[in-house]
Amino acid sequence: MNQAQKRNALFISVWTAIVVIAIYLPIVCGALASLSKGRYFGFPVREYSIEWWEKTLDSFEIGMLTRTSFTVALSVTLLSVVIAFFGALAFARYEWKGRRLFQKIVLLPIFFPQPVLGLALLLWFSALGIQTSWITAVFAHMVWIVPVVTLVIAIQVYGFDPTLEEAAYDLGCTRFQVFREITLPLLWPGIWSGMLFAFLLSWGNFPLSLYTAGADSTIPKWLYAKMVAGYTPMVPALGTMSTLGAALALGLGGLVVYLYRRRQEGR
Amino acid sequence: MSDDAKKPKPILQLVGVRKTFGDFVAVDRIDLDVRQGEFLTIVGPSGSGKTTLLRMLAGMDVPSEGNITLHGELINDVPPNKRPTCLVFQSLALFPHKTVGDNIEFPLKVRGVDKETRKARALELMRVVRLPESYHGKNVMKCSGGEKQRVALARALAYDPEVLFFDEPLSAIDYKLKKVLEKELKDLHRETGKTFIYITHSLEEAMVMSDRIGVMRAGRLVQVGTPEQIYAEPADRFVSEFVGEVNVIEVARGADGAWTGVDLPGTYRITPPKDTAAERAFVVVRPEFMRLLAEGEGADNCLEGKIYNEYSLGSRLQYQVHVGQKVMLVEVPRGRLAPLQIDATVRLGFDARDAIVVGN
Amino acid sequence: MAFRLPTAGTRSAIPVGLLLLLGFAAPLVAIVAYSFATPRSFDVFTSFTLENYAGIFDVENTVWLSFLWSGLFALATVVLLAIFAYPIAYGLNRVFGRWSSLVSILFVFPLFVSENVRLYGWVLFFIKNGVLDGSLKAFGFEGGPDVLFTPGMILAGMLYTYLPFMLFPMTLGLAMVPGDLIDAARDLGAGRFQIWREIELPLAMPGILIGMLLTFVLGIGAIAEAKILGGQSVIVIAHDIEIAFTYSQNWPLGSALAVVITGFIAVLTLAVFGRLDLDRLLGRR
Repeated sequence: MNQAQKRNALFISVWTAIVVIAIYLPIVCGALASLSKGRYFGFPVREYSIEWWEKTLDSFEIGMLTRTSFTVALSVTLLSVVIAFFGALAFARYEWKGRRLFQKIVLLPIFFPQPVLGLALLLWFSALGIQTSWITAVFAHMVWIVPVVTLVIAIQVYGFDPTLEEAAYDLGCTRFQVFREITLPLLWPGIWSGMLFAFLLSWGNFPLSLYTAGADSTIPKWLYAKMVAGYTPMVPALGTMSTLGAALALGLGGLVVYLYRRRQEGR
Repeated sequence: MSDDAKKPKPILQLVGVRKTFGDFVAVDRIDLDVRQGEFLTIVGPSGSGKTTLLRMLAGMDVPSEGNITLHGELINDVPPNKRPTCLVFQSLALFPHKTVGDNIEFPLKVRGVDKETRKARALELMRVVRLPESYHGKNVMKCSGGEKQRVALARALAYDPEVLFFDEPLSAIDYKLKKVLEKELKDLHRETGKTFIYITHSLEEAMVMSDRIGVMRAGRLVQVGTPEQIYAEPADRFVSEFVGEVNVIEVARGADGAWTGVDLPGTYRITPPKDTAAERAFVVVRPEFMRLLAEGEGADNCLEGKIYNEYSLGSRLQYQVHVGQKVMLVEVPRGRLAPLQIDATVRLGFDARDAIVVGN
Repeated sequence: MAFRLPTAGTRSAIPVGLLLLLGFAAPLVAIVAYSFATPRSFDVFTSFTLENYAGIFDVENTVWLSFLWSGLFALATVVLLAIFAYPIAYGLNRVFGRWSSLVSILFVFPLFVSENVRLYGWVLFFIKNGVLDGSLKAFGFEGGPDVLFTPGMILAGMLYTYLPFMLFPMTLGLAMVPGDLIDAARDLGAGRFQIWREIELPLAMPGILIGMLLTFVLGIGAIAEAKILGGQSVIVIAHDIEIAFTYSQNWPLGSALAVVITGFIAVLTLAVFGRLDLDRLLGRR
């Protein structure tokens, strides 16, 4: 059977590699378009230049966009992680009536097309008389991001041993001490991953921001607007920069989790 | 030993303690006095309620009915962190993200003891449980099974609790290590003088370590006594069978007062049951008291049967003998008898004084 | 049993519950309310009419075409992705070993890149003088195929976007198949295909179902692919809804359309959720 298994493994690996290349191909194309000198993209690139990158970095408008995107993402992250933390405990840790129903309700916003959710929220805000702005965008993002973060933290909670909390309590801790000394440190990798997810999902979100951010513009909103009318190579430049930023955040965040785990195990 | 004069005062008392979960009765009215400084083991099969009982003593669960008092004061509602007790969990519940030293110092840390004092105490405890000093900074998950047990013990002793509870800590350990740890636990008990309450499903463990044993079944304490008492004077058939394989013959008192066998015909000479009015009883004979009779040898009670199987139990041999419808077990030290053939007809015998008569 | 109060779970659930009540349930209620309002008006809660629905279900209305397109796209995406993603999910569980984490990250990362950026990259790839066209021409070939702004391209875009949503639940599902069951089956004489059909597939089914449901539900509400890659060739239902809300300023109509779609999604989701054990799927084994 070993020969057949090896053949299977090879086929699977090759297929996966092909798919991975296909996934990153458009991102690479974007990078190429941002590095070509002329205003209109042509391949092979006749002349490479970083002028569009420079223009993007210098642009005041783009600076504002970045600040808005960042503010929204940070707010979403901080608010979501607190709400999702308790949600994850309800999801995976405590036995309570309605837990199974709760699990399914939490998943519903994930199983829902974002454009329709965005429009529904727009409707809702207008019915309430609330002006859309980056603040309403934060709320909109949270509706779908909190369930995702809840899932991420819940997965960590599933692996958590509740008798450790009981033991700490028995050894003399107050409830708060149990939380600080045992619960939080052991759940920390899940919480941190959740925060990372929240930040990155908010950073790159388009459908919800489009309808609920009102006059405030985020990076994805701006990219789309320019794609449709007024294309400049600043679009792929900003897109590539945003992607690189996300990759950097993911890499650093992952490194933090990795080092944290190492420190817990290796000392 | 004159009982009343030397009887130590009870440190823990349970009166009518009962715990129900919905319709299910886990603990069904337990009355128990735990003496100060004793090593008391509660044994029972899975589901007998012993863990629930322990958790109520430790404060993790609250009794549905009844009172638990410590030094005469009611502690039903006192939470675990306020009781001068410590529970050693079955899984040990060592904190995986902390070192050996941090685990042991933990109870002291949360009580505000400063670093220097904590460390000194931890090292002292490590000496007591025989852990090398170098382990202080070692991550606790890297320790072996036996070492982890010792860390758990040291941690439990760190803040000097009066009573220690043990929830089957040795159940998942291999035989050799278990024997070592049993002895160390017993030594620790003697050295510290604290009250140990231990639960296990293995009566063998209980016999080795305990001052007293309580046998639990279906939420009730069936018998409490010294290991000797449990072994030689079981309160009922369940307790007697709990120790190990036994031979049981059901007997009924005839009109003439003689005891005849119900499941094995014949008249039996036995010491009368405690309940003198009883019409029925069970005669329990341990395999080591059931003898293979030689030619011409007699006994108070004789049976005839055929050898069915022979088992080697280390230093003893066990024979299974078909007697009528039943299988009798006979154990002899190896080498005592000449080898016997399967299917050979043999005579078995036991004396009245070696048989335990129980009511049910 | 935890030593805490029995309602700790309920207390922990309140923040999430509140958020979803205000941010998910309430907007949906608003949409339902709007769908009964007079067309082209904003008289929500003050008017009640079934005109919007009548208009949708009117045979002459071309909106059913949008429903059809969306449905077909979503269905095709599910079927194709189920096939494409399965080997990868299998690989993540049994082939890649130490590399599984890294490969997972490679597949997760695109979710963090704005879909505009990704989809536009495909435009840059397929457009005239784009990466494909230009490379082929450079080698002396005729030039790239003219696939952009066709329904085929939209489908390709959807396959591209929704791959992670099929892949990850499927991976979780396959993780529920213990390796020694497969070994035992092989030992008992089963062939590869039989093992797959009798053991792997049934045991992985919860995860596969979730992946398919998620992909379908998200796909039916997809809009970016049709807009960016499809030009004006196809109008999907989400686009119709958007137009009703923005250009047409016909919120009641848009709401009615949204209600129809949401109702459809709700039926499917509840049907699948009803038979799910999330604890087992997510890690409490």
